[in-house]
Amino acid sequence: MTNRTQVTEAVKRLVVRESRLSVSPTAVADDEPLNGALLRVNSLGFLGMLVQLEDELDLTLPDDLFAGRVFTTVADLVDVVMDVTKEET
Amino acid sequence: MTEAPRAWRSVLPHLGYDLPVDLTPEQGAGPVTATLPLELIRQSVSQREFWPVPEPVAERYRAFRPAPLWRARRFEAEIQAAVPIYVKYEGGNISGSHKFNTALAQAYYYHRAGFRELVTGTGAGQWGSALAAACAAFGLACTVFMVGGSLRDKPYRGSLIRLYGADLHTSPSQLTALGRDATGNHQQGNSLALAIGEAVEYARTDPKRAFCIGSGETYSILHQSVIGLEAIDQLAALGAEVDTVVGCVGAGSNFGGVALPFFAAARAGELPRPATLVAAESSTTPKLTRGVYAYDHTDSTGTGPMEAMYTIGSRYAIPPSHAAGLRFHGAAKLISAMRHRDQISALAIGQREALSAGRVFATSELVLPAPESGHALAAAARVAAGQEPDLASRHGVLVCVSGHGLLDLAAYDKLLAGLPEDQPADPEALREATATLRPVHPIEGA
Repeated sequence: MTNRTQVTEAVKRLVVRESRLSVSPTAVADDEPLNGALLRVNSLGFLGMLVQLEDELDLTLPDDLFAGRVFTTVADLVDVVMDVTKEET
Repeated sequence: MTEAPRAWRSVLPHLGYDLPVDLTPEQGAGPVTATLPLELIRQSVSQREFWPVPEPVAERYRAFRPAPLWRARRFEAEIQAAVPIYVKYEGGNISGSHKFNTALAQAYYYHRAGFRELVTGTGAGQWGSALAAACAAFGLACTVFMVGGSLRDKPYRGSLIRLYGADLHTSPSQLTALGRDATGNHQQGNSLALAIGEAVEYARTDPKRAFCIGSGETYSILHQSVIGLEAIDQLAALGAEVDTVVGCVGAGSNFGGVALPFFAAARAGELPRPATLVAAESSTTPKLTRGVYAYDHTDSTGTGPMEAMYTIGSRYAIPPSHAAGLRFHGAAKLISAMRHRDQISALAIGQREALSAGRVFATSELVLPAPESGHALAAAARVAAGQEPDLASRHGVLVCVSGHGLLDLAAYDKLLAGLPEDQPADPEALREATATLRPVHPIEGA
């Protein structure tokens, strides 16, 4: 089972990589905007990042949880992924 | 062969390299949204080879697939071919072109993801009519922006789009700021890039509305693999063998669809020898034969990512051509990467030669090809008749006729009236349109 800490760490690793930053993922706050002063994840990069997240966490993210939904912070994404992991267990 | 393929086949595991990563444009701060079904992203990046065709899509495929394949003996005789020519015909569906193969798949995935409406831009109208019919099949609303000049030349494409319940807008329209601005600047309504730009802008006004396009994307090329997969089986059933496969290229989905399954099958040791894969492009948009390998936008609005592509420049002013479906400045990044490594070949064909080949095919085989397909037929004729020394065929040529020309008769009318050959692209204009593009770095393109 994937816990919230694992999901959060994976999400932060990927948002740092997607933003081409050299900071430690642990320096990213849970409420950090995905596309703001620090992180620069845009909608196009976001999709590719979700597929990488599937590989990292070995799960499948259902399309209907994401289409038309707005994601503002790191925690928004973690919340949705946690919902998926609960459904899979 | 009585059944369509049950799975699409990806060429990505057989390339031996990764495709260069797109350069995403700077976007102002703010929330992010998922604008594309994840399954389409997976199909674009995964090394998985076979992707089962979802049953709702397969059911629709069964109405028109397997598509016919035959040996075109009368065409061979007319063009004095030295080797057999086999034809794979994709005009036998409601859209009249191969575009329906991916339109159905995309509409299914967008519907499953929860989107309610698909929005697109269309030039010749083949993609617009394919998407309109596919949206109707899966209960999605559809909005199409069609290039004004093209709609005037092909009013029945518009009729077909409206018949399937789609909202059709002549581009430039008054519905978008981009369209209003273009109209105010007296810009001619003859640009696919503008129609696409309007579609992108309109799609952004509702999160359940998605912009959707169907040619150069890697997932579109995957969906089109049904063409080549069927052809391989059909040739085997005939006891026939080809060493050359030809398809026309706008961005590359028809060529990729017919040719890349042959590449994958040869790499997997399933064919006796690799085939020469020949992309037939329009001489008005000679990206694969005269373009540069650089990062460029997929449309002239600059709203999409920059992709590594062979391009004549997204800001190059493409002259009018009857092969409207080929009037695109760049080749798909997958097709471009293969061209960069000499895994595919290319020929540029003028519209007079293309329409003349189409006319010979129509009178000899009694099937009227789309002007786009005429480019592939002309290229196939050159190869089969031994007129291309670097692309000699010893065993036979397979050519894909991507669609019918029944809604393109104005082009054939002009051929009969003495249509002059189009002017080759001006070298200085090409240099100017590509001068500021960033070349693909040797490592990125390694």
